[in-house]
Parts: sequence; C-alpha cells; structure tokens
Amino acid sequence: MNRNKIRTFLEIIYNCPFVLLVIFTSVVFLIFFDGTEGREDGKNVAALRMIEEKNPAKENDITDREEQKEDSSIVEEVQKPKEQGEKDVKNAGTRKENTIGIKKDLKCKTDNKSAEISGKQEKEKKHATEFVEYTPIETDSRYYSDAGKIALTTVYDYVLENESYFNDAAFLGDSRTLGISDYAGLEGADFFCDNGMTIYKLLEDDGVTYQKTGEKVDMKEILQEKHYGKIYIMLGMNELGYGDTPMYLRQYLKVIRQIKEWQPGVIIYVMANLHVSQEKNNMETEFNNININDKNVASARLANGSDVFYLDCNPLFTDEEGYLLAELTFDGVHLYAQHYDKWRDFLFAHGVEREEIQQTETSGVPGDS
Amino acid sequence: MLFSSVGFLFRFLPIFIIIYLMFPKYRNIVLLTGSLIFYGVGEPFFVLLLLLSVLVNYGFTRYMFWEPRYPQSNRKIKAARRRKRAIILVIALDLSVLFVFKYWDFAAGSINAAAGKGVLPLLSLALPLGISFYTFQMISYQIDCYRGTIETRAGLLSFATYICMFPQLIAGPIVRYGEVAERMEGRRVRIRDLENGLKLFTLGLGLKVLLANQIGTLWNLIMTAGAGRLHPLVAWLGAFAYSFQIYFDFWGYSVMAMGLGKMLGFSIPRNFDHPYTSRSLSEFWRRWHMTLGSWFKEYVYIPMGGSRKGNGRTICNLLVVWALTGLWHGAAWNFVLWGIVFFLLISLEKRTFGKWLEKSLVLGHVYTVLLIPVTWVIFAITDMGQLAGYLGNLVGYHREGILVGTTQLVRYLKEYGALIIACVIFATPLPVNLYWKWKDRWFVVLILLGIFWCSVREIVLGSNNPFLYFRF
Repeated sequence: MNRNKIRTFLEIIYNCPFVLLVIFTSVVFLIFFDGTEGREDGKNVAALRMIEEKNPAKENDITDREEQKEDSSIVEEVQKPKEQGEKDVKNAGTRKENTIGIKKDLKCKTDNKSAEISGKQEKEKKHATEFVEYTPIETDSRYYSDAGKIALTTVYDYVLENESYFNDAAFLGDSRTLGISDYAGLEGADFFCDNGMTIYKLLEDDGVTYQKTGEKVDMKEILQEKHYGKIYIMLGMNELGYGDTPMYLRQYLKVIRQIKEWQPGVIIYVMANLHVSQEKNNMETEFNNININDKNVASARLANGSDVFYLDCNPLFTDEEGYLLAELTFDGVHLYAQHYDKWRDFLFAHGVEREEIQQTETSGVPGDS
Repeated sequence: MLFSSVGFLFRFLPIFIIIYLMFPKYRNIVLLTGSLIFYGVGEPFFVLLLLLSVLVNYGFTRYMFWEPRYPQSNRKIKAARRRKRAIILVIALDLSVLFVFKYWDFAAGSINAAAGKGVLPLLSLALPLGISFYTFQMISYQIDCYRGTIETRAGLLSFATYICMFPQLIAGPIVRYGEVAERMEGRRVRIRDLENGLKLFTLGLGLKVLLANQIGTLWNLIMTAGAGRLHPLVAWLGAFAYSFQIYFDFWGYSVMAMGLGKMLGFSIPRNFDHPYTSRSLSEFWRRWHMTLGSWFKEYVYIPMGGSRKGNGRTICNLLVVWALTGLWHGAAWNFVLWGIVFFLLISLEKRTFGKWLEKSLVLGHVYTVLLIPVTWVIFAITDMGQLAGYLGNLVGYHREGILVGTTQLVRYLKEYGALIIACVIFATPLPVNLYWKWKDRWFVVLILLGIFWCSVREIVLGSNNPFLYFRF
C-alpha cells in the first residue's frame, strides 16, 4: 500500500517535471517579489542619503533643513535676483489665476511691464526666470505634487545664432535629445544621450552613448577633458516615476555644480521637458503633465540668467491646455522627425553671447527693450 | 486581464487550476465562474453585456427548437418557419450589438463626413473586450444548431461555459461547438495534459513577450520618427518589424490559448500554420488565423454560393468576404482597404499567376515575403495621409527630403539584428518541429523554464516596476 503510494507519487514527478519546476521557482520568486516593494523604498532612501553624503561641502544649504526650506535655500543660492522677480510674478499670477495656456500672452504682459521698470530693477528682471502661478490641484503621489506654477524661458536678450554656435556645444539627455541629435541637423554639436537616461545616471560609471561614435563614454571623463562653450541638458522624463521632485532638484543642482566646476565659464541651458499628449496623459500613474511641469519648475529654479538659462520649448508644440499636439506625435511623447527643425530654430533664437553679459553687468545700463 | 500579466500568471491561474482540479464534478461551473472573474476584472460593466448576450442567445436556441405538444397537421412547416425566424432574429441581434459597440461611430462619422454635417450622433462607446470573437462564436453556434450539425445541443451551463471560457474568450481562436462538444459534458485532466499544456502556454508566452513585444519597439521607434520621410530601407525594416510583431503577438496568444485549453482538458484548434512560409496569398490565408478564415468560408462564402455560381458571382462573393474580413479587424477605412487589397491580389492569383507561384520554389516565397509586409502596413496605419506617405517611402518616393536615413538604419540593425534573426527563425517551422521532436527531453524543459522566467522578467520590468516604468 505504502509502496504503491510512493510509486504514484514518483510517477507524477516523472510525468510533469516542468509544472513542478515552474511551481517551485514561482514560490521562490513570490517570496522574492513580495520583498521588492519594500526594497524599492529602501533604495530611494539609500539614493537620497548617497546624494547627501557625497555632498558634504554643500551640506549647509541642502541637508540641514526641512524639505520646504531646502528648496528655497537652493533657489536663493543659485538665483540671487529672485525676490524682486517673484514679487512681480506674484502680481502677474494673481491676475492670471487659473489660466494655464496663456504663456505667450503673459510673456507680452511681462515684457510690457519690464519696460516700465527702470535701472537696476530692470537688469535683475532681465536675468530672472519667471513663473506664472495658477491654483494647483490635489495630487496623491509620492513622486510629485502640483507645482502650482509654470516656468517661463529665462528673460534675457538672446541673440539669433546659426549652426556654428553649436560647434562647441554638448547636449545631454534622454530619447528626446536623441531626437534632436537625429533630426535637428546640428552636426557640430556633441550629443550624449540614451533612451531611459536620467539625471541620476548621467554622471555614473555606466556611461552615456556618444552619438558620433555610438559608443558608451564616461561623462565624468569627457567633461573633465574636453571644454565646451555651452551645455544643453534635458532630463526629467525617466525620473517621473523615480524619487520625488525635491530629490530630482537636488540631483540636478549637484550635476550643474559639478559641470560648472569642470567647465569654468560654460553656459548651461536647462531645457524644459516636453509635455505629453492628452491621450498619453494619465493622472492615475506618474505619467502626466502635472508631474512633468513639477520637474520643469524645479529645474527652472536653477536658472540664474547669467550662466544658467531655462528654455521652455513647450509653447512651440503644445495646445492651450499644455498637451502635446496630437498631430505632432505618434506615441504621444516624441515628436515626429520633421518637427525637430522648429526646435532647432528655437535653440538658434536663444543664443547667449558672453561679452554682452559682462558689458551689461559692468555698465549697469538698462537693456534696449 | 491579459495572459501576459503578473496578475494572471501568479494569482488567477494557479488558484483557478487548483480549484478546477479539486472539484472534478463541477468543472463547468468552476470554469464559467473563473472566466467571468477573468473577464470582469478588466471589464466590470461589459461582463453583464456578455452574460446578457449568452442568455438571449440561449433563449433563442430554445425557441428555435421548442416543440408544442398539441398535434397539428402543418406542425413541421410551422416549426421550420419558426426556426428560420429565430435564426434570422438572433443573428441580426448579435450583429447589431456588435455594430453599435464597434462600428457605430465609424459608420456615423463616415455618413456625417459624406453629408458634410452632423446627421448622426457619435456615441464614443468603449469597445467590450473580445466582442468580435464571442459574437462570431455565438453566431457559429446558432447556425450549426439551425443546420442540425450539432448532435446534442448545449444546456445553459455548457453553452455559457463554451462562450465564456477564458482561454479563448478575448482573442480567439473562434472555436466551433462541434469541436469541443464532447469535452463540454465531461472531461478528464491527466497529469500529462497539465504538463504539456503548461509547456505550450510557456511557448506562447515567449512568442508574445520575448519576440512580439520586443520587435514591436522597433516599429514604434520608426513610427515615432514619422511616416513619410523614411529611407526606403528603413521603411522596409519597419514593415518587417510590424509583420513580425503582429504575427508573434497573435500566434503567441493562440498558442497560449491552446496550452490553457489543454490544461483544462479541451483541445482548442490550431490557429496558425507558419503563414509566412506560404507561396501565395491564398495559401497565406489558409494558414493565418485559420479559425476566422474558415468561419467566413463556412458561414458567408459558401452560403452565398461560393464559386459554384459562375465567375461574376464568385468575384462578388470574394469581394464581400474580404471587405467583411477587413472590417472585422477594425472600424476604419484602412481595414476595408486592407481587405480589398487581399481581394484583388487573391482574385488575380486565382485567375492568372497563382499556378506559377505554387510551382516555383523561390518565386512564391519572394512574392509573399515582399507583399505581406506591405499589406500589414496598410493594416497598421489608420491615418490615410500617413499611410500614403509610408507606402511612398517603401518604393522610394518622398515628398520631402529623407529624415530617417542610413545612420539610423545602421543603429537599428545593430540594436535589433539578433532579434530579427530570431524572428526569422521562428517564422519557419523549424523551432516548432524541434519542439515536438524533443519536447520531453530534460534540456527542452530547462529551456522552457528559461523562457518562462525571461518572459516574467520582461513583464515585471515593463509594467510593474516603477524604476523602469518609462523608457524614453
């Protein structure tokens, strides 16, 4: 009797090794998989700590305060003329409350207003990044919150450039930058980008693909060896579901400081992340324009109008509500190849000539607006 | 719920199988309940529509064969009339449900566009999952009953289980009742069936997740750059990529259905027979989505007269069948165009060059390998302007300059070369033949285990892991 039982049992094992293997490995996997949720959080915390530890010299302005204050400390540091600017913007904001798609309109308004202000105020205004406020909506996500404002392209007397401007330029970014590399026709510039690139991975040892050779290179080495006149950064899409916005801002700040240290006198362009289409916008996940805007506003606070500039290309490609226009995209995220020339023209129109900065700064004469 | 999801693989399926095996006497009830849960998780509202359709259809079958007790002289004639009335009514009803959910907006939109104003309102209804499949299955059951080809008609429970059973509910194959009738009433599940079923399921999962999903990203990459300004070779690469994607996706799903069917004690018919190795388009359609092809043949083409009523009538019948086949795949003009292209090519084959294709060893293969990707491009691109641009690119016509050129081509080939070779190999019968030859060897078991876990890894990383949730 017992022997028979053993025999049938062995027969079962013999007859279905695959089922048993799958069941066995699944049990192992499920134990492992259940643990991942916790581990993810752990990783986040670890990443945060890592950033903070790596930055002991700057600890004062970042880590010793609460998160709320922390943000403002960063802004204070990198963007000195902020207070004046913010006052103006707040006025603009209250008047324009609840309006999201009025960027162009508002730009004219602020331009007019800046004409009224004179002297030093004018100069500070010119070099500031402006924010348009609106009433934020409630969000329930550990990755982001509604910023309640939109960042505009840093106000500055940009010069119209041509392709030669980009001969000493480097572009760092994700798949959207890859699109610029492929289709904008900026042959002179160096492109370092990969699908899925993030601000966290940018300076890591894994490297970034140098598009001219197609090989992975270590950004740390490149930035220390080759000198660039301008560096364009556009990252933030792959960070939408990784870490929260303050963490993103801290890492962005760290990267910019590092670049400035290695590349003295460089002009850094912080480029806004392009919004996604209405179809792709999903409030149930982290993948939506509120989150993208949150990241954009954070990175815009790093712009100071003297060597860091924030460029918002969204008005070129989005509708009144800020959604990427459906006819410009296949997947709701990336532009069709033929629309990158618009982006290129936008970059052409935002050249910064360095001598001019010094001139304005030394003479203290208001600009010719 | 999709087969290729963690929820299905690690929650639904194991729990269901255990309960299914525990209660051998109540298999249909367990299967029906399980299937309704499977469907209801994704479509909590439309599961009611499904149930209602099943009940109404069952009612009509009962009515069709209802025999009044009292004797009558013309009873037979009356019964025949009632049967006819019932079958026409029930088919019209099934089709109109399908029409309202799937085609109303398309039809209304087209009429409005033709009239130049809003004549008919748009409903913007969501499409119930699998409605095209289960509607066709119900119609096939009704017609088989009407014709008397089904020996014993199903009871309510059997009928509901037959329509709703989850292996084939949402993406086919379209199973005819006669093919499973015997197993509906009682079935044994042997340990070997579980083993072989799970193996088949794993193969299908691998086809879907490791081949279709991966090669699909190449097609997306090319379409992201935009149709109309592609180098001809890039355009062809995209067309091949999409052809592989749609084939492995659908074939994978069908194989998963077969595997699950086997695990539950059914034998679900094969849906694909290496279609890309065909030598003509007619042969292609005998091997591609075979259950749909035979459905149209059985219930549309032959009742209309098939090829027995003269040349003119044959061509007319073919046109109707192909236009409907096109429309079945989706409510847009490009699907109609896609059907019509097949109609034209297959009619031409029948009349003229079909014989040569089948005779020649090479010519037929070259012909299908080049033409089928073009038909899939028509299938894939719904926007007519873009479609024209893409087709132009395939033959080297560009309205504006080329934007996606050889640099991108080289990069794509570097990145996807290995995958493309794997796809080509799996499009031939070789891997399947080897599988059947060696399926009980230990190394095949290990390979399958590898496929299973690679697939799970892709599924988890692709959707559940917030860190790799987006890859832009």
